[in-house]
Amino acid sequence: MTRKPTTCLEIEPALVAAATGEADTTTAARVEAHTRTCASCRGEFASYRAIDRAVGIWREAPSPVETSVRERLETRLADLRRRALVYRIFPSPLGPILIARSEEGVTCVEYLVGGRDFAHSRLARMPGVEPIEDGAEVEALYGELLDFVEGRRSRLAWPLDLRLARSDFHRAVLTATARIPYGAVRSYAGIARELGRPSATRAVAQALRWNPLPIVVPCHRVIGLSGALTGYAGDKLTLKQRLLSVEGVPALKTAHDFRVPRDAMYVRSPDGSAYCLPSCTWIPAEPPQELTLFGSPAHAEAAGLEPCSDCHPDLHPISR
Amino acid sequence: MGWMDSTGFDALVTRHHPEIYRYLLRTTFRASEAEDLAQETFLRAYRAHRTLTPDANARAWLFAIATNVARNHFRTESRRRHAYATVHAEGSVAHADGPEGQTLFNEARVRLETVVAGLPLKQRLAFTLRKVHELDYDAIARSLDCSVDSARAHVFQALRKIRRSLNGYGLPLGSDDR
Repeated sequence: MTRKPTTCLEIEPALVAAATGEADTTTAARVEAHTRTCASCRGEFASYRAIDRAVGIWREAPSPVETSVRERLETRLADLRRRALVYRIFPSPLGPILIARSEEGVTCVEYLVGGRDFAHSRLARMPGVEPIEDGAEVEALYGELLDFVEGRRSRLAWPLDLRLARSDFHRAVLTATARIPYGAVRSYAGIARELGRPSATRAVAQALRWNPLPIVVPCHRVIGLSGALTGYAGDKLTLKQRLLSVEGVPALKTAHDFRVPRDAMYVRSPDGSAYCLPSCTWIPAEPPQELTLFGSPAHAEAAGLEPCSDCHPDLHPISR
Repeated sequence: MGWMDSTGFDALVTRHHPEIYRYLLRTTFRASEAEDLAQETFLRAYRAHRTLTPDANARAWLFAIATNVARNHFRTESRRRHAYATVHAEGSVAHADGPEGQTLFNEARVRLETVVAGLPLKQRLAFTLRKVHELDYDAIARSLDCSVDSARAHVFQALRKIRRSLNGYGLPLGSDDR
């Protein structure tokens, strides 16, 4: 075997490029000039051209993808999409807050107290979900949540995905709580009664303690029968008071707690169409836990209620 | 902001799954492995597609994911040998074309596949990305996590090896030269 001359070795990359259609015109011209005088490189050029044609055949060969292949891919993708929760952690004024959503709706809002990171969040320990850290879509939610917390927005019109609720009963409690209007409060006992389990007050409180969507499912609007705020997100009672105060619900500080002055609140009438003064004859004295209370006529009217035509709460506002 | 922003991803799957599958088939030479790796590619893509900017080249991005998946797959030497052995034993498993009068074409293709299967992995991937799927060298460099010059060098070396290997095979080289 004879060794190639140096010029041939040097031109080889250009020759391959020219033969396989990758060379610019200058390079192609250089290769052409060389092959005109060099028979061995002319042969090489022809060989590479032949390879290029064979590759072309390979490229163009029909190879349809079987329908079943696509179907199995769709099945696996659908499964992932059901499990996927996109989340991001935001440094909110309330402390770091994690927001997660699925394709169905917002799924989790979590206060990360005490400098906890994602690995120590509830979401990380949740079976059957696949958390994916991401952002843009969740960021828009965070913006609205911030507006809500700071009183610039009174509705979070988000679809809810309550899959993180621990049981069907918990889910029912969350759904009932989500119906409490902005600027109103109800009692744990009232929700228990609404769900047909009047003795399940503590179970209602427990369900709200595990609320996967605080603020969005407004568990801060659920208070004790006495008017005491009783609890929120572990030890964040002042946060509950702050959220209520933004919504116009007064909560007075007592020695150990905050207390909503139940007897100085506007009351939703039993048929749900009007709001009344607490002294109105339409308001039954017993049982008191059924009542939905509003901090102001404006919020009651925003919830679609008319002022009662008997007690005229619009003409005789409660003075606090 | 839509809650069901999945239509964009659906379109991505419809548009690119066939060629990604074919790419992996040309890389693994086994339909079952190509299917698994294509699934893995699109599951990864789903997890990450929100980071894709609207003007991003989704096709190049998917090829880069598929290339990564393939390289992970071939991290074990035994799988590499397996792919090579498959082509050697069965010829082209990639296509069941039927007995039409394409024998010569098929022969050329099978030989080519055999040689390509024997190439070092990076050269094989670079060659397939460039010559079969016609990606530009920027995209190939990103897929293989190397420089554009290296990507070019991989393709050049692949072609050289193919040229040497086919020398003895009697592929109708040198004919039909215009």
